Amino acid sequence: MRTPPVLRRLPIPTEDSFTSRLRSAAVTARVGLWLGVCFAVAFVTGVLSHYAQLDHQPVPLPTRPVWGYQVTQGLHVVAGTAAVPLLLVKLWTVFPRLFQAVPRRAGELVRAVLERGSIAVLVAAAVFELATGVANVAQWYVWDFSFRSAHYAVAWVATGALLLHVAVKLPVVRAVLTADVDDTTHDRPGAVRPGPLTRRGLLRVTWLAAGVVTVAAAAGTVPALRRLAVLAPRDLAGGGIPINRTAREAGVVGAAAAESYRCVVTAGSRQVVLSRQQLLALPQRTATLPIACVEGWSASGSWTGVRMRDLLDLVGAPAGKEVRVSSLQSPHDTVLPASFADDPKTLLALALDGDPLSLDHGFPARLIAPDRPGVEQVKWVARIEVLS
Amino acid sequence: MRVALGVLGVALAAYGGWLLLRTQDTGEVLTIGVWLGAGVVLHDAVLAPLTIVLGWAVARRLPDPVAAGAVVVLVVLGSASLVAVPVLVNSAGPQTNPTLLVRDYPLGWLELAGASLVLAAVVTAAVLRSDEARRRNGADPGRR
Repeated sequence: MRTPPVLRRLPIPTEDSFTSRLRSAAVTARVGLWLGVCFAVAFVTGVLSHYAQLDHQPVPLPTRPVWGYQVTQGLHVVAGTAAVPLLLVKLWTVFPRLFQAVPRRAGELVRAVLERGSIAVLVAAAVFELATGVANVAQWYVWDFSFRSAHYAVAWVATGALLLHVAVKLPVVRAVLTADVDDTTHDRPGAVRPGPLTRRGLLRVTWLAAGVVTVAAAAGTVPALRRLAVLAPRDLAGGGIPINRTAREAGVVGAAAAESYRCVVTAGSRQVVLSRQQLLALPQRTATLPIACVEGWSASGSWTGVRMRDLLDLVGAPAGKEVRVSSLQSPHDTVLPASFADDPKTLLALALDGDPLSLDHGFPARLIAPDRPGVEQVKWVARIEVLS
Repeated sequence: MRVALGVLGVALAAYGGWLLLRTQDTGEVLTIGVWLGAGVVLHDAVLAPLTIVLGWAVARRLPDPVAAGAVVVLVVLGSASLVAVPVLVNSAGPQTNPTLLVRDYPLGWLELAGASLVLAAVVTAAVLRSDEARRRNGADPGRR
């Protein structure tokens, strides 16, 4: 079959078409090192966040420091955001490899297919993780799969493919990282054309981009930096603590505002039913705790309400039991590990910063516990059940 | 050690694949597959060629010190713009949550564009000054 003239005129590049000496393994490895650090931080904090959202944790996470999840999840989003420019620059440096000649001998061909296949998996998984993560923090849901489980599963694929990639490239990585950045031993022979910047210059610009993008997109609720966070989906200004999902979005406005609202506390056959007035009549405690969202933002508030342990005492529940807290928003609940249920800082909050809770913050009553993901701090609490 | 690392990598990736199949139904797995492929295609067939064309135009049309500044704009503003797509698009639609997407994002993008131009000017000035210093010392203009 003859090649159509249009295709014949299309310049299909080869590896040698790329001549900039900035596209060097010396640059790739240096950017890749920090990209690897970002992916490692995002993976570890992400697995931790996934575990923190499990209903029955085999080994419960600690309840202190109260800001633990705030820090780990903040790091998760920071690492993922900083990875965007790092990944783009790294891919730019290795782009010529996409046009590498295909080996003709069977053995080499198999090797090349395996290696390039693993790279394709790595790039696909890495881009997927960053793209879905960045879209999710803006609540831009342009997909119809579950973000949480897909982002989690693909994270394992990305990390596995990354480890395999490091294993394959380790000798080159070691050689170029121990040599000067301008060393050309591992460059492609044709990559000699000077760029507008030195290699050091390109690296500095890359670090700068990582810093600028991270502050612009991920520092919205960091008091000292929030004015620079021009692309952040969240801010502390005006409304105080941001809201992940409003009462209207959750479809609970009617039930939450109704006079007939009651909170049911049960342990086995014992049960007490409390109105908001009755909750307000119980001893009130105040705790300063952050709401730390899986989306990376966090904000601290002074919460006042009834200690969870006091409520559990009303139904004679012994210490050391898991407690399921359910919302008017169905089906939304969380299981507090025993150490969290018994913690003196864990409250059924009725007020925030001295004012009665707003509907969007969980009126008539919401759960607030130390060191927990925001999504597990159940709002519009309808039922507290001691599990046996 | 390399072999152990490679085997561990394959095992983790396989676990991820198994998780994907276990936690999603067939339709979702297909959608995720499309998204995974789309990321690679968008980068390799759109973003990378676009960068090459831009780089080529910059290198041909602009003197080196200015081109160095253009690289700053491309890397800083280019990656920031990609990260900005969700907030820019989503904030243009109807809002149901008064604490989400609270800023003026087109203005924020313009501010970032201005900041990258300033950074570009600083880099251009720095390159000019170091070229000048090298020339005065009679040294090689440096490796680029």
